[in-house]
Formats: sequence, structure tokens, C-alpha cells
Amino acid sequence: MATPNCLRCLLVRPSVAARLPAARQMITAAAPFSTTANSRAAGGPQQGKGKKAPKPPVKGKQMNLSAFKKKRDVDKSKPPLPGERKAYRKRILLSNNNALPVPGLQDVNAESMLQTSNSGKVLSLPDAVVDQLRAVEAFKPTQCWGVFRKPSMLVRAETVELMQKMQKAADSQQALRLVVTGDRITGKSMLLLQAMTHAYLNDWVVINVPEAQELTTACTEYAPIPNNPTQYMQQNYVLKMIQAIRKANEKLFSRLTTVHQHPDLPQHVPVSSPLLQLANSAKEADGAWAVFHALWQELTTKGYGRPPILFALDGVAHIMKMSDYRSPAFEQIHSFDLALVRLFADCLGGNVQLPNGGAVLASTSRNNSPRTPSLELALLQREAEQNKTEVPKKDPFFRGYDERVDAVLKSVQVLRLDRVSKAEARAVMEYWAASGVLRATVDEATVSEKWTLGGNGVLGEMERAALLTMRL
Amino acid sequence: MASMKQGSIALRPLCQGLRGQQRQPVDRLFQALRLDAPAESRRSLSTVPESTQLGAIRAAPEIDLKSLADLRLVPHARPVPVSPSYFSRQPRFNDSYLTLQSLMRDYGNLPTIPSSQVERIAWKTLVDFRQTIGEQVKASEYVKCIELVKRLHQIHPELKPDVVKQALDAFKREVQSFSNVPNPIPIDRFGRALGVGRRKASTARAWVVEGTGEVQINGKSLADAFGRVHDRESAMWALRATGRIDKYNVWALVEGGGTTGQAEALTLAIAKALMAHEPALKPALRRAGCVTRDPRRVERKKHGHVKARKMPAWVKR
Repeated sequence: MATPNCLRCLLVRPSVAARLPAARQMITAAAPFSTTANSRAAGGPQQGKGKKAPKPPVKGKQMNLSAFKKKRDVDKSKPPLPGERKAYRKRILLSNNNALPVPGLQDVNAESMLQTSNSGKVLSLPDAVVDQLRAVEAFKPTQCWGVFRKPSMLVRAETVELMQKMQKAADSQQALRLVVTGDRITGKSMLLLQAMTHAYLNDWVVINVPEAQELTTACTEYAPIPNNPTQYMQQNYVLKMIQAIRKANEKLFSRLTTVHQHPDLPQHVPVSSPLLQLANSAKEADGAWAVFHALWQELTTKGYGRPPILFALDGVAHIMKMSDYRSPAFEQIHSFDLALVRLFADCLGGNVQLPNGGAVLASTSRNNSPRTPSLELALLQREAEQNKTEVPKKDPFFRGYDERVDAVLKSVQVLRLDRVSKAEARAVMEYWAASGVLRATVDEATVSEKWTLGGNGVLGEMERAALLTMRL
Repeated sequence: MASMKQGSIALRPLCQGLRGQQRQPVDRLFQALRLDAPAESRRSLSTVPESTQLGAIRAAPEIDLKSLADLRLVPHARPVPVSPSYFSRQPRFNDSYLTLQSLMRDYGNLPTIPSSQVERIAWKTLVDFRQTIGEQVKASEYVKCIELVKRLHQIHPELKPDVVKQALDAFKREVQSFSNVPNPIPIDRFGRALGVGRRKASTARAWVVEGTGEVQINGKSLADAFGRVHDRESAMWALRATGRIDKYNVWALVEGGGTTGQAEALTLAIAKALMAHEPALKPALRRAGCVTRDPRRVERKKHGHVKARKMPAWVKR
């Protein structure tokens, strides 16, 4: 189709363009669509230099997505270093300067836990013993020591009973073999701590395994013992243990001297050198088991002023089953094939004697403890035998029993830790109130209320009900 | 002649009726005006005449003019309603109100008993009353009526006349909720009282016995049964709020629901059992919130919602 005007005429020639009709002009210019006046739509008057360009015309309502976006608060602080969180979780605070010092609080001494008159009293731990207990990791992070000014503990009827048994065994140069059991947070670990306190105050040697699961859940290194390949040593753990024993019993070890030759040690320790030197010879994990073996040999020598030994272990269920370790043939290793566990089991079962007397204490734990039918049954049986009631029998159709465990637990004593009496509860609550932690007046009503709320006197539950709930 | 004339006038309606016209006899008319006997005036719904329904059709007896002469019917008889309230808007209500007023006039001086000791009666609400009598009674008027009712009800029960009792019966609700009294919880020969409590989906039975504050729930101690200290406290709240924790032992069975429900079901159960031992504790327990059953349940899910109330997230397209 031919255009009515020549195309050249459409080229911008002012003289021509001026003469062209308005409709034609629209075609050439970039046509802005606007409902406003023509002059504004064309861009308005020119602005002078330096002035800000005008805002573009508003195009109607538009969604501004950035308005919905949340501004992220980026935390620029450093994340905690590896292990820092765990260290915080597992730290043990033993005193709190905000708590009030309790007037008239007595320290424990060598005899105080043997006296029945002290039953139902709160006694504090002497500083020297606190250091020793800390060295062997007797304090647990779950116990609330950090609420009070000074670490103190309630002497319970069971405490006195156990201490008297221990003392009797030590006097007669026998070993007390006993398992402490009981409900959740009734104070089983606390009873072990009291036993250790008593031991330290009476110059015993204490060997403590604070968590038996560390030995059997395959979290520490192990190796077959060179001349006895069916048993496995845990060098790193043993090294740590020797250092703890050395630190806790330093005075005693510097007084005692060796009486045996120990040719297998990494360092030569001549006869009649102090035991401290023997203990110090464990510098690296490699020779640690040999040093421990030598140390055990020295400590269990009859005579020579050797003190009684307290061998304590918490969470006994973990060693009463197959461990998580594997043999070179990738077969499960029984916990009793781990040398350290074997030693404890032998002591507990009576196969290894303590010629200078002492005690082998194990305590069950209700936290993260595996089912061990043999242990459970044996505890019930021993308890029934002690109480002269009907002894429960093995389930003949159940295959989960472990004969090796049965053999170990054949003749142990069982101490069931029960709930505290109201008198004991009152003593503890008076101590709490004197420390300024419990704000209520301690009278019969408060005591029995907390006693009931704490599941008829479960000490840990009472603590939870009274101290650890925010009630301001 | 005069008598004849009188008679003829008196007979007029009768004769008209006999002639089979529409007019009804006077007493029939009066009957229609009566308020208190609606049953008599009810019409037959049958299309067949009443006489045929009865059986054989019989001729009317011969009119005995002598006996009719004795009838002293007023000339120009006009039916007058029995009730003076007939021409009011609410005749039945007015009647009953007037009855109550006259009863009050007659027996208002009889000795009364204090209102706290009067037997509790659920009186009809305004809506109920309106429905029963079918009249649009004003609220303010009904209030006055009920005031009279309550005053009459306060008359000493041994002296209350039967007339009053019958008059008041009309104002009683059909279902008397106050007569629905729960059976008192007995204390058995071992000194135990069994209380039952419910909350959400949980049911608790608590045997409460005098003791030293020992608690066993489903054979476990309180701490074993409830991990949360808050739950333990709410389970023992009835005893705790009244300071009786060390005075009673509790042995309880709980089932159903979750921990909170079980704990709060126990609150109610223990409170009920405790009230069996010490009924005087009821006000204290009510103040502690242990007497009323909490009726709240899980709210049902609705269609179009993600949960009971939650709506799905808004999407652009």
C-alpha cells in the first residue's frame, strides 16, 4: 500500500514537521502513554544541572517484596571451640559465693560417719578431701554443689551403715564387696562419694571409676595385653587413672615404698623407692598398664604398712555385659575381658583378695544404663537372701543371662538406698534454708510437702521440687 | 298470656337451636368462654355428626313445657366469661398472678423460714413460662410474679397449705436440677474414701485415707508417676491448698490421656475424696479450684483449617 505522503517527508525537518498534522507527529516521537496533560507526559520542563532528577512518575500500587523480607541478625561472634560446650556442660562448681555460709556446719572427720549420732546431720567436706575427691572425679556434674557455699552432705542412716561395714572390713583385713542400688536420684553416687570421703579421711587408697561406660562403650583406646592376648588393656584410661590416684594419694604414696622388682616398667624403679616414683613413671600411655599392674601389686602386698584400698565404680550395669569393643576377629569382647574391668570384677566377686582389707563398691545407675538381666536378677536374689525372704528364680525360658556375671555377683552384698526419712529431709531443708537457697520457713508442713512432692522422700526429687524450680 | 310470652322469649334460643340453625345454647357459649377447661370445649375433628358417632339416632324427647316454665332465664342473656381477665391480653397469666396475690393476702402472715434454708427449686424461666401458657408475658411482670412465688415458697413447710403448694407447682420447672444431688461418698471400714475425677481424656480414682502423706499412683511414687514437678504439684493441689498433705495417704489409679490430664484428674479425685473426710473444706477447695470439673476437651478440627483454628499459609497463586 502506498503511503499518502512520501516517507522522506516523515524525516524530521522542522519546517516540514511543523506543518504536519498532530497525528503524524505522534508516530515519530516515542509516545509516552499518559492520562495526564501532554506537557507533563513528555517529561516536563528541563531541570538545571546539579539538581536532582525528578522521581519517575508513580505507576500505581506495586508490591515491595523487600518489605516482607526479615532482616537477618547475623551473629558475628565466634562459635565455641570444639569441646568447649561439653566442658561447660560437664564443669563442676563446688562453691557459690552468693550462698550464705551456714553457721555451725561441722567438717567431716575420720570417725564422724561411723557414729550413729551423726545420722541425719549435714556435714561439710574438708578442703583437702575436696581436692582429693575432685582428682578422682567423685563429684558429678548433675549434683548441685554449685548452689551452696561449701560442699556439704547429709549423713544418712545408710551412710553410717555402709561406713561401719567398711571400717569393720578394713579392721579385719577383709574386703567388703557391696553393690549400692536404688531408685533414680536417691543418692547412690553420693553414697560412693561419702565412702571415698571416709576412705581419704582414714588414709585409704582410693581407685575410682567414675563412669563405667567410659570403659566399655568403645570410646577409649584398647590393645591386647602383650603376654596375655585374651585380655585387653585400655592404656589412655589407665594413664589418666594413675595420674588421678597419684594426685589424690600423693602424701600417702610418698610415704610408702616399693617392695617388689618391676622389670616390665618403662622406667627402672628400684626396690624401696617411694610409690610416688612408681606412679610418676607412667608418663605415656604405652607403659601405663604395666605401671598400673605394678602399683596394684605393691598396694596389695600384705604388710609393709599398706593401707586398705577402696575400689569404687559407678554405673555397674555397663560392665555386666558384652562391651562395644571388638577382637581382631571382629567378635564382641566381653567386658570382663578388658583388664581393668576384669580386675574390678574379680575384686567384686572375691577372686582377688585385698590382703590389707578395704572395700569394693559398685553402684548401679539409672541414667543411660543398659538392661542387664543377670545383674538385675542377682541384686534381687542377694537382697532377698539378706532379708530372708523368698529368693526369686531365674526365668528358665530366658536366654539373656550371662554366666560370667552370675559368677561375679554370687556373693556380693546389696545395699538398697531408700527414701530419706522426714527427719533427714528436715535436716537437709534446714541446711538449704540456712544457705539462703530455700526461702520458705522450714516447718513440718513444708517438710512433708516437699517430702511428698519428692516422691516420698527421694532426695534428688526433693531437690528438684524445692531448689531447682524457679518459684520467686 | 304474660307467662306464655315470657316462656316464648326464654325458649327462643332453644327453639332456634332445635330448628337446626347455627346458634349454640347459652351454656355452650359460656363453656366456650371458660378459660380453665379447654378440654371440654375442644371440638371434635370428625366430619361425622356426634350423634351418629354415638350410635343409633334417637328422637329428642317431647318438650315438657311445664318444666320449662320453671326455668328463669334472663331475657337477653349475654354470655359472661368465667375469668375476669378474659378480655385482657394475657388472661392466664393475669389469673395466676391474681391467684398468687389472693394466696398472699390469705397466707402471707404465716411464719417463714430464712431463705438460705428453703428447699432450692428451679423456677420456670420467662421463656419456659411463656411457652407453657402461650402468652407473651412481659419480663418485668413475670419478675413480680416470681417474687410472689418465692415469698410464698418461703412459708414454713409444715404450715404451708395445699392450695399454696398446688399454685406453686405451676411455676416449677419440669426438670428439677437441684433435686439431682450426688450420692455422698462413703468412708469404708478401712477409713478410705474413693474419689473419682476426670480431665481431658484422663480418669483418676483416688483412695484417700488418714495417714502421713505417702502417695502412690499406679503403684509408683509421685516422682515416678509425674516427671514434671508442676504435675506433681497439681496432682497434690487439693491436699496442699488445704494444708493436709501430711494428714492423708493417697493411693490412686489413673488412666487415659497425657500427663497434664492425669495430674489434673487426680486433683479432682483427691479433692472429692478429701471432701468425704472433711465436708467443711468444700469452700476452701472451691477457692483453690479443685471442685469444678474442667469441661474443656480438644477442639475439633474444621475443614479448610489445618488444625482447629490454624489456617493454611497464604500463597500468592
